[in-house]
Amino acid sequence: MTTPMLEIRGLRARVEDKEILKGVDLIVPKGEVHAVMGRNGSGKSTLSYVLAGRDGYEVTEGEVLLDGVNLLEMEPDERAAAGLFLAFQYPIEIPGVATMTFLKAAMNAQRKARGEAEIQTPDFMREIREAAGLLKIETDMLKRALNVGFSGGEKKRAEVLQMALLKPKMCILDETDSGLDIDALKIVSEGVNALRGPERSMLVITHYQRLLNHIVPDIVHVFSEGRVVESGDKSLALELESKGYAGFDENAA
Amino acid sequence: MPVSTKTLREGKVSIHTPTRLGPAEEALAAQLDGGANPQAAARFRDVGLPTRRVEAYHYTDLKSLIRAVPDLASPAITASQSAVNLPGSYRLMIANGRVSEGAGVAPAGVIFRKVDGPVLGERDDAIVRLNAALAREALRLDLDGSVDPLIHIDHRIEGDAAHVVDGAVINVADNASAIVVETFSGSNKAHMGNHAAYVSLGRNARLTHVQIDLGGAEATHFASTEYDIAEGAHLRTLVVHAGSALARSQAFARFAGPGAHADFGGLNLASGNQHLDMTLSIEHAVPGTTSEERIKQVARDGARSVFQGKIVVARDAQKTDARMMSQGLMLSERAEIFSKPELEIFADDVQCGHGSTCGEIDDESLFYLMSRGIPRGEAEGMLVRAFLAELVDGIDNEYLQQAINDIIDRWLGAGAASVAA
Repeated sequence: MTTPMLEIRGLRARVEDKEILKGVDLIVPKGEVHAVMGRNGSGKSTLSYVLAGRDGYEVTEGEVLLDGVNLLEMEPDERAAAGLFLAFQYPIEIPGVATMTFLKAAMNAQRKARGEAEIQTPDFMREIREAAGLLKIETDMLKRALNVGFSGGEKKRAEVLQMALLKPKMCILDETDSGLDIDALKIVSEGVNALRGPERSMLVITHYQRLLNHIVPDIVHVFSEGRVVESGDKSLALELESKGYAGFDENAA
Repeated sequence: MPVSTKTLREGKVSIHTPTRLGPAEEALAAQLDGGANPQAAARFRDVGLPTRRVEAYHYTDLKSLIRAVPDLASPAITASQSAVNLPGSYRLMIANGRVSEGAGVAPAGVIFRKVDGPVLGERDDAIVRLNAALAREALRLDLDGSVDPLIHIDHRIEGDAAHVVDGAVINVADNASAIVVETFSGSNKAHMGNHAAYVSLGRNARLTHVQIDLGGAEATHFASTEYDIAEGAHLRTLVVHAGSALARSQAFARFAGPGAHADFGGLNLASGNQHLDMTLSIEHAVPGTTSEERIKQVARDGARSVFQGKIVVARDAQKTDARMMSQGLMLSERAEIFSKPELEIFADDVQCGHGSTCGEIDDESLFYLMSRGIPRGEAEGMLVRAFLAELVDGIDNEYLQQAINDIIDRWLGAGAASVAA
């Protein structure tokens, strides 16, 4: 029997007065990679923000457990310390914050929250070098301000770099393929695949099947009108690609 | 006609009716009575402290902000510790208005001496007039050549609450370069400091001039600085308000020779019930001079922060390039930030620009940092530091940068502590 890493049950959420998530049920077992596919506006990104705890989204019903722990009462930083990581569709540019300073602050904050000692600078540098090498990230890029002036591909690689350094239990990748050319997609996917493991689960949000050729999911969920309308193995993604989302709309009714 | 005569007379009478002085103004008037200039006392009795009806004090109504004036300072109890840690600096102290000897041998290119009287000329400004009327002695610094150590003028107000009036004259010779830091600090009492400085830059001189107010939570701090910038000279300034309850720093700069350039920086770190005012007036008097103003204001709790920036371009001052940018960051809904740019341009071939922004911490950035595990307070601190980074980075001395960053960190830490409490 599989142990669930992420359990979403009956999750409803709204932004201002508009209900976006209308009863999401989704379980990602430990060590598995699941994909959520859906057209623009189906609520996929809202799901990722609600899971990460962004302000402005009000959960009206349901529960979310990460490795058995209730996430919904936590601040975003506490969720991160509990092992959740969201790779942003559009990583935020923050002028004036050096990437290295940020990476160290994030690693140390999570260590502190878990009662661990701060990372020593040589260890930090070694971890950065290793992870950056795998993602073909030049150290020059890390000296710049966080995401500022990064190309689309560099931003996504930087997200995966953070994921590698923070070692989360549960990764949510929100449209990680958007804005990537084929080469960048390959590098990013390899970076993600290298992080797959028996103790780590992933939820890959996308509206193209393309990404799933590189990051092959165990299960595919079709998202429509704010909930999961169908789940299946990876062949479901191919079926979606040929039939289009319209073929699944009746299930949403 | 009798009626019109009466009207006229009444009008005349009302103009000459002295302002009703409050207790703080009475105390100031009495101090002026004992000063060297009886006319100043009479004049002050006539007009009192400026109110919001005086344009230059519109956001800083001194009549209502100043409730009490402490006695004029008696000679200082010497404080030995430096207000800020500036390794390798050469420190000169002005304690309770008295200029004391510098420690050890003055570095090469530095001559200092005690001089009498006010350092600023007549100016239609209440703070400058009070300084001029009550000034006793001032520090004069003559800097020549490439002055290596950072020069630190350590203004102190020690002992019981005191009203201190002092001054400094800083002359940077032709082709000379120096960094001068003035800090203002002292015992944690309801002091009132009124500091004046006259700064002249000779031809092709380079000066970085930093003023940092670290006064106590009940203190009032006034600083007025006049800059004369000769041909080819480069000036960089930074004023940091990070202490006194009420602070106003005003700079009056005049570009007197072509090729002169200045970068004016200002930082208000306002919290509690502080009222911090940064006022700049820049006159491009001759052709071919450039200036840049960069002001940052951060306000939290119920604090008020004010920036007034005036750029005057004279009729002959063609090819002037003057830019002013004021950015505000509000950390609470009760905080207030005022920003008033004024451009008076009499030449026709100039570039002048001003911009003013005011906003809160960016939600998206905050969420991004927090989603990586960084707690809210720390994430906000990172974003405030990022907002201020370009001001600090412009200062070309790492110890001074460190000292300013420490002040910012302390300010952020105090905010985090008050939230936690």
